Amino acid sequence: MSYDDVEIEDMQWSDELQAYTYPCPCGDLFQITKEELKLGEEIARCPSCSLYITVIYNAEDFADDKSKSNLEPEKRQAVAVA
Amino acid sequence: MAVEVNQSSKETIIEQREKEEEQLWSWGAGTDGQLGTARLQDEHLPQLLNLPSLSSAGPVSILACGGAHVVALTYGGKVLTWGRGNSGQLGHGEMVNTLLAPKPVMSLESYFITQVSAGWSHSGFVSDEGCAFTCGDGSFGQLGHGDYRSHCSPVKVSFFVNKHVEQIACGMRHSLVLLKDNSGNQLYGFGSGKRGQLGVPMDRIKSINTPQFTCGFDDVKIISIGANGDHSAALSAEGQLYIWGRGFGATSDFLIPQHIPSPLLSKAVLGWNHALILSDDGEVYMLGGSHHGVLSNPEKMNPSKHLSGNPFGKLKTRINLINYIASIRVDDHVYTLKLPQHKYNLFCFGETGAAVLERVPGLDGMKVVQIAAGAEHSAIITEDGVIKTWGWGEHGQLGLGSTCDQNIPQTVSLGHDIEHNDATFRVYCGSGFTYAIRTLCPPP
Repeated sequence: MSYDDVEIEDMQWSDELQAYTYPCPCGDLFQITKEELKLGEEIARCPSCSLYITVIYNAEDFADDKSKSNLEPEKRQAVAVA
Repeated sequence: MAVEVNQSSKETIIEQREKEEEQLWSWGAGTDGQLGTARLQDEHLPQLLNLPSLSSAGPVSILACGGAHVVALTYGGKVLTWGRGNSGQLGHGEMVNTLLAPKPVMSLESYFITQVSAGWSHSGFVSDEGCAFTCGDGSFGQLGHGDYRSHCSPVKVSFFVNKHVEQIACGMRHSLVLLKDNSGNQLYGFGSGKRGQLGVPMDRIKSINTPQFTCGFDDVKIISIGANGDHSAALSAEGQLYIWGRGFGATSDFLIPQHIPSPLLSKAVLGWNHALILSDDGEVYMLGGSHHGVLSNPEKMNPSKHLSGNPFGKLKTRINLINYIASIRVDDHVYTLKLPQHKYNLFCFGETGAAVLERVPGLDGMKVVQIAAGAEHSAIITEDGVIKTWGWGEHGQLGLGSTCDQNIPQTVSLGHDIEHNDATFRVYCGSGFTYAIRTLCPPP
């Protein structure tokens, strides 16, 4: 049973993990890669527990690399060290 | 009562007493160092902690537990943090993956901090002068600094510079701030607002990076606030609960604060899919419990069974509840429903369905004095100092020695030699972990 349904726009791109992520209630992150999305996978799993979420996205957006530029995260994390 | 003691021996006495009087245990998810055990692993049973840096800072007044980090506040106004720090949420001036032991937040040393909160990956602090500080992940504007940057040291929220902040509450991707001066706007929200968790009169704004006035409290004095997941809550001086943000169970999202009819409340805490409510006579109620604690049981994860056969469909009128008989007029028909008194006290209705505020089972005859909620688990303390937990248990967050889920509160043992007399207990929950503090009562 899917823990939640999450739209791809609510997931965050992680450069480190090379995956779209969403918080898992265990403290880790649900993860799904662009390759998985390209293959039509819609389940993002948490590496630390049994839970998973269903990712809602438009398959065409990930069908080929042409549209890749649209999918790059808008908000790249900027970090200020005070 | 004043006793003259010279300074050095006084400090020694205080240090000694603090060591003896306060003990901490932790259990649950621990792979980010959030348990303070100096190990990066889950613990299924309570672990008695040895935290010299924390005990030397003085007794703990608040332990705020977030996604995978902990913010401890001492009665002396000092702040220490540990656990996951990869978004800057620990406030030590650098991104750290994990910090295994409590470390003082040096940039807050010159302030006397009176309240702290830990969100999924950000933290909030309030000083005695009414300033609010935030650090950590700012991708959704949840730090309130007018941008989407992250900060690894606490930064004063300039919006509140001429206001007196009393409390801050950090959720998954949003924050709430309560002002002390209640004349006019008292409550603000910032960060992600997609589920209505900011309570601003705009329809599902994606995110806002400067504090926005939360509507709906013109004639209500708010005394405390809470945030977790995509939920927000406020408790009024009259002991009434208001909830907004993501819906519970089958209810739709509450885009503006919704009054939840209830008995007089003393506390409300939020998980990611449930709310736990403590009445002033020591009874515990749960909202959204159909999801809670049954994550590994697909049969029970369907929307609340209480809703099957709900004849009302879309319901926008108030239900009348008299002597446990609920009645409602839909078109020309009046529907009545006799509620089993021992189990359900209250109903509340959203726009498209009903959520049941249900009395937590298995607590008959027990007076509960404290409640806490993790993402998908709950913990309480009874007046006898007994800790009970229930909900999702996959990471050992229930502290029962297993990874099983529990639907009914179960007693947690801190060890056979732990005396419950002359001590008070407190419990705190992070997303997938739990802390307990035992404090010896001061001699009469």
